This record gives sequence, C-alpha cells and structure tokens, in this order.
Amino acid sequence: MREVVMECRNLWKIYGDIIAVKDVSLQIREGEIKIIFGPSGSGKTTLLRCLGLLTKPTKGEIFLRGECLTRPGIKLNKYRARIGFVFQHIWLFHHLTALQNVELGLRRVLKLPKDEARRRAMQALREVRMERWANHYPAQLSGGQQQRVGIARALAMDPEIILLDEPTSALDPELTGEVIDTLRDLAKEGRTMLIASHEMGFAREVADEMIFLDEGTIIERGPPEHFFTNPRTERARRFMARLIKQTMRER
Amino acid sequence: MEFILEYLPLIIEGFIVTVEVTFFGVVMGLILGTLLAIGDLYGGKIISTLIKIYVEFFRGSSIVVQLFIFYYTIPSMLNTTIDSFIVGLIVFGLNSAAYQKGYIKGAMEAVYEDQMTAALSLGLTKAQAIMYVILPQALRIVIPAWSNEFTSLAKSTAALLVIGERELASAGKTIAAQTWRVLETYTFIAIIYLAWISIVTKILDIIYEKVKIPGIEITT
Repeated sequence: MREVVMECRNLWKIYGDIIAVKDVSLQIREGEIKIIFGPSGSGKTTLLRCLGLLTKPTKGEIFLRGECLTRPGIKLNKYRARIGFVFQHIWLFHHLTALQNVELGLRRVLKLPKDEARRRAMQALREVRMERWANHYPAQLSGGQQQRVGIARALAMDPEIILLDEPTSALDPELTGEVIDTLRDLAKEGRTMLIASHEMGFAREVADEMIFLDEGTIIERGPPEHFFTNPRTERARRFMARLIKQTMRER
Repeated sequence: MEFILEYLPLIIEGFIVTVEVTFFGVVMGLILGTLLAIGDLYGGKIISTLIKIYVEFFRGSSIVVQLFIFYYTIPSMLNTTIDSFIVGLIVFGLNSAAYQKGYIKGAMEAVYEDQMTAALSLGLTKAQAIMYVILPQALRIVIPAWSNEFTSLAKSTAALLVIGERELASAGKTIAAQTWRVLETYTFIAIIYLAWISIVTKILDIIYEKVKIPGIEITT
C-alpha cells in the first residue's frame, strides 16, 4: 500500500451555530485522486480550506505525511508551501504577469535563484500549455487560461498534494474543457489530488474514490462505478440523477 | 514688473523651502502612512487605537496650531529650541501621514481579501504577502488620492510663515511690505504656486497611466 500523504481525523468546522464541516475523516495516498462532490453549501470549500491550512478547523486533526498540522505553535506557511491550492475563483495576482504569478512562490518561499525560478515557472506553464501567454496579465486572459495559470502556480511549487476547489465551476461551460484536459494530464503524471468537482465524466475517468458530502459530512464514498451504477443512500442517488441530467442538457 | 527681478533671490529661496517641505512631507507621509495603514489593518486592537488617536489629532486640528505646538510648546517643555525648517519637515510629514494612512488603508482594503488568501496558500508569510501582493496593488490605486494630497500639502506650506520660516508665501509678504506693490507681488507668487503644482500633478497623472495594470480599467 502506498504512503498516506494527507489525512484528516474527525475534522469539524463550526461558524457560530452553523456546522460547515462535521466529523470528516479521510486519507489520500501517494498518487491517488479523490473527488469530493455534493450540493452547494455542503462544506466542500470549507473542508478543502481547512486541509489547505487557510481556515482553522474547530476540532480534529490534519496530518501531512504523518506530521500533525493542527498542533499549536506550528509554522503554517512552511506547510502551506507543501500543499498546492487551486481556487474556484482563481485569484491570480492582478498586478503580475502569468509568469510572475508562478514565480512569486518560487522566489519568495522556496528562495530559488532568479534563473532557476524562471526555468521552473516556465516548465509549469508549459505543463498547462500556457507558455505562450507567459507575459500576459491575468486581465488579458480568458477564464480558462487564468485557471490554468492558477494550476501552474500551485504546480510549480512541486507540492506533495494539490487541493482543487471546484476549479471549473466559475468558468463558462465552453472553457471548462481546457481546464479538465489540464487536470487529466496531471492525473496521468500521477499527481496526488483532492478535487471538489461536479465534472462527472472526468471523475469517472480519473477518480480512485468519490466522496459525497452533504450538510458538512460524508454521506457515502466509493469508487466512481459505485456512484454511477448503484448509490446506496437515497440522497446520493437523487443528487447523481440530477447531475447526470444536467450534464446531458449541457451537451 | 521689473521690481520683482530685484527680489528674485528671495523668491527662489522661499520657493526652494516650499518645495523641500512639500516633497519631504509627501514622501515621509507615504512611508509613515503605509506603516500606519498596515498597523491599523493587521496590528491588533491596541496599536489600531493608538493610530486612531494620532490620526484624529493631525486631521482634527489646525496645521497652524500643530506648527505652534512643535515650534513653541514641545521645545519649551524640553528646555530647548528647534529650527523652524526642521519643524516644518516634521509637522508636514506627520500631518500628511495621517491623511495618507486613510487613503492607503482604503486602497489595501480594496485589494480584496482573496489576494491575501492566494498569497498565503503559496506559503508566503503575511508580511511577504503585504509586501509583494497587497501593497503593489494598493499603491497603484492610491496615486490619484496622492496627487490631491500633494496639492493640498504644497499649498498649506504657506502656514510656515506663522513660525517665521521663509517659504514662498512669506517671501511674497516681505516683498509686498517693502514695495507696496501688493497686486503684482501676490499675482506673481500665485502663478509660481499654480505652475509648479500643475507640473507635478501632471507628472503624477503620467505615472498613474504608466503603472496601470494592463487589461484593468479603473473608473473613478
């Protein structure tokens, strides 16, 4: 069995009287791809942000290669650098070109020399097929291109795991394809990824496991085939039916 | 108007003082104002309260009174005297910082929270995120306000004459008193103010256009 890269145990996140994440435990092993899906407001974003150390969980533990990241006094930035994060709304740095967006972490966090940072940033842009656009600013790129730069920005840091929060859901339908293609490439390379996504075709193709989240908690989990053929819970069944219908309509 | 030529050295001397105090004030205001904005946004309750008191004092009281306090009150408490030019630099710097803090803080808040989150996700520290992501964007936004601050400061330097510093307006006053040619003298002084302020604001406009982020239209 391959090594566990990231794990959370009994994770809770409570805002006031709203429970956003409720007792979630999961493991992602080296090279695994897990897809989280569920209705909006089901806690996907909050869960990913907790795992990305961008939101402090209320209770529970998070581990990266066996190291506990939720113990007090931990240097968060050191670990954030080892976890890639791709945002739903992309959030590129507006004042930097695509290349500079990718270079920033390499220069300032990994402290690479200029040439080395440039080389690695270009390499990452090549991987998402954006090297031609290296010197364009975010506002000069389409949504799909921006998201590919967002992926390159995370990728360049050579993270141990990449967390992707609905990377295509803020894009126009005709632009999702190019981002999905990029993710498919990463999957082929054997990257470890935890992806919140409703792209069912993609999920079916690459996911080792799908996790159905509702009201902040895991309702059902299993390999894609399980969800496509025979979901156990009524909630998952209904949600799958709705997603499949929606996908058909988009085509 | 030939009589003005006679007094030209006096006018130039005054003009230089005005320019020096203005530039020093604006630059010190920018540096200190940026630090105050960061302190107010990220420094916690106590720091933010102290900053508010500071800002209220400099924005809420007359610049003439501030000059008196720094020229007479504080030195007399310390049993010393202080040069009026130095007082000018200090007071205009501190005063401008109080105003610029407001502009810069507003601009930093306008650079959305998401830019900070994205920077942190890469492993940057908060200080690095402010330095490399938030400030470069905020300072671009703040340039038009900065241009206003410059014009306002350049004109208020005339207040220096109350503590006897020989800046541009006080040069005019001296000339008018000696020649009794009030109309020509003050017209000439006014033109100098107008000319140099217009030139600098024009330059700031050009800089603003130059550093604009390509593809983004900011409508103000």
